[in-house]
Amino acid sequence: MSSRLIINFLRFIGLLLLQVLVIDNIRLGYYIHPHIYVLYILLLPFNIPNWRLLFAGFFMGLAVDLFNGTPGLNAAATVFMAFIRPLVINGMTRRKDINENDEPSLNNMGVSRFLVYSFLLLVVHNLVLFMLEAFSFKLIGVVLLETLLSVFSSLMLIFIILLLFKKTKKKSL
Amino acid sequence: MYSLLNFLKKYNNILLFLILEVLCIIMLVNNLPYQKRKLTKVGNAISGRFFKTKTNCTNYFSLKEENQLMVEHNALLMSQLYNSDNDDSVLIDSSSFEFRFIPAKVINNSIYNVNNYLLIDKGRNDGIEKDMGVICEKGVVGKVVNVTEHYASVISMLHPYTVVSARFTDNQHIANVTWGNRDYRFGTVNDIPLHLKLEKGDTLVTSGFSNIYPADIMIGTIEEMLESDSKDFNTAKIRFSTNFSTLRHVFVIENLNQAEIDSLTLNQ
Repeated sequence: MSSRLIINFLRFIGLLLLQVLVIDNIRLGYYIHPHIYVLYILLLPFNIPNWRLLFAGFFMGLAVDLFNGTPGLNAAATVFMAFIRPLVINGMTRRKDINENDEPSLNNMGVSRFLVYSFLLLVVHNLVLFMLEAFSFKLIGVVLLETLLSVFSSLMLIFIILLLFKKTKKKSL
Repeated sequence: MYSLLNFLKKYNNILLFLILEVLCIIMLVNNLPYQKRKLTKVGNAISGRFFKTKTNCTNYFSLKEENQLMVEHNALLMSQLYNSDNDDSVLIDSSSFEFRFIPAKVINNSIYNVNNYLLIDKGRNDGIEKDMGVICEKGVVGKVVNVTEHYASVISMLHPYTVVSARFTDNQHIANVTWGNRDYRFGTVNDIPLHLKLEKGDTLVTSGFSNIYPADIMIGTIEEMLESDSKDFNTAKIRFSTNFSTLRHVFVIENLNQAEIDSLTLNQ
C-alpha cells in the first residue's frame, strides 16, 4: 500500500514537472495544447474512493495552475474529469474482468479500450478547460477545434509515455 | 435531521464535486481581471525559482543571437548619443532624468494562451513596482501586474486587458492599441477616424500620455486596414515590432516623477 503511495507521489511530481517545464514550452501552434498531467488521474487504481479521486484531481490541477498563473482553471477541469471517471470505467468494464486493486493500464484493459477510456476523459477535461478559458459561447468553434487537436496530441504523448514506462514497471513488480 | 444525514451520505460525492468545482470557479473569476493575485504569489515564488534554473540552462543556446542583439542596440544608442543636435553636456545630467530603466531577464513566457504573461527575474528588491511599463530593445512588451521579492509577472501586449496609448508618427494622431486576435505577431487599432489616410508600413509609437511608457517607443507598423463594423472608425491590423516568441531581455521602466503625477491627478 505504501509503495503505491510513493509511486503515485513520484508520478504526481514527475508529470507536473514534465507538463510545466517541457510540454508547456513546446509550441505547436495556437490550437494545440497537450495536457499530459491528467495521466495521473487516468492511472489511479480502480478501487480508489471517489472523494480521494476528486481531491487528487483538485490538487493536480491546482499545482499546474500555480505554474501557469491561472488559479482554478486546470483545477476545475481536472475535478470535472475525476468526477466523470467512475462513470466511464463502469460503462466500459465489467466487474469480473478487472482486479479492483489494479491500476488502469494498457495490459489489463487492452490497448484499444484504454485509449478509448483516455480519449473520453481527455475530451471532457479539455472541453471544460477551453470553455472556461474562453468564458463565452461566442468562441465555441475555436474551443471545439482546440479540444479536438489538443485531445489527439495529448493522447499521442500519453501513449508514448506509457510505452516508455511499460518495461521498467514489469521489472519492478 | 436523520433524513438530512442520509441525504448527505447518499450524495456526498456529488456534493464534494460541486464544492470543489465552485471553489475553482470562484478562484478563476476572482482572478480574471489580473489573473494573478494572492494564490499565484505563492506560486510565483516557487515556480520562479524553477523557471530561473531552467532559463539559466537554456540561455546558453541563444548566446550568439543575444550578443548580436546587444551589439546592435549599443550601436543604436551610440548613434543617438553622437548625432544629437545639441552637444550640451548638461542634457545628460542624471538629475533631469524622467525614467529609469531596470534590465531584467525573461524566465517564463507564454504567447499561445488567451491571456499571456511573462515572468521576469527582478522583483521588489530591485525596485520594481506594480503598473510599471516593460519594453525591450525592439519595442513595447507589457505592464507589471504582480511583484514578489525577487520576481515579477508582466501582462504582455498579448492580453485582452492590455491597452497602450499610441501615436502615428506620420500625422501625430492618437490611438489605442489592443491585441484583439490570437496571433502573437499582430495587434489591433480600433479607433482610427475615417478622414485619416493610413498606409501599410505606417509606424505607431507610444504617446507618452500614460506615464507608464516614455514617448516614442516603437510599438509596430500597420499591416493592413480592416473592414470595421462601426461606420465611425476604421480598424487596422498592426504588426508588433517586438517578437514575443523570442523575448529574452527586457527593461522595466520606472517613472521617477510618478508620485508627483499621482498627487496631481488624485487631487482632481
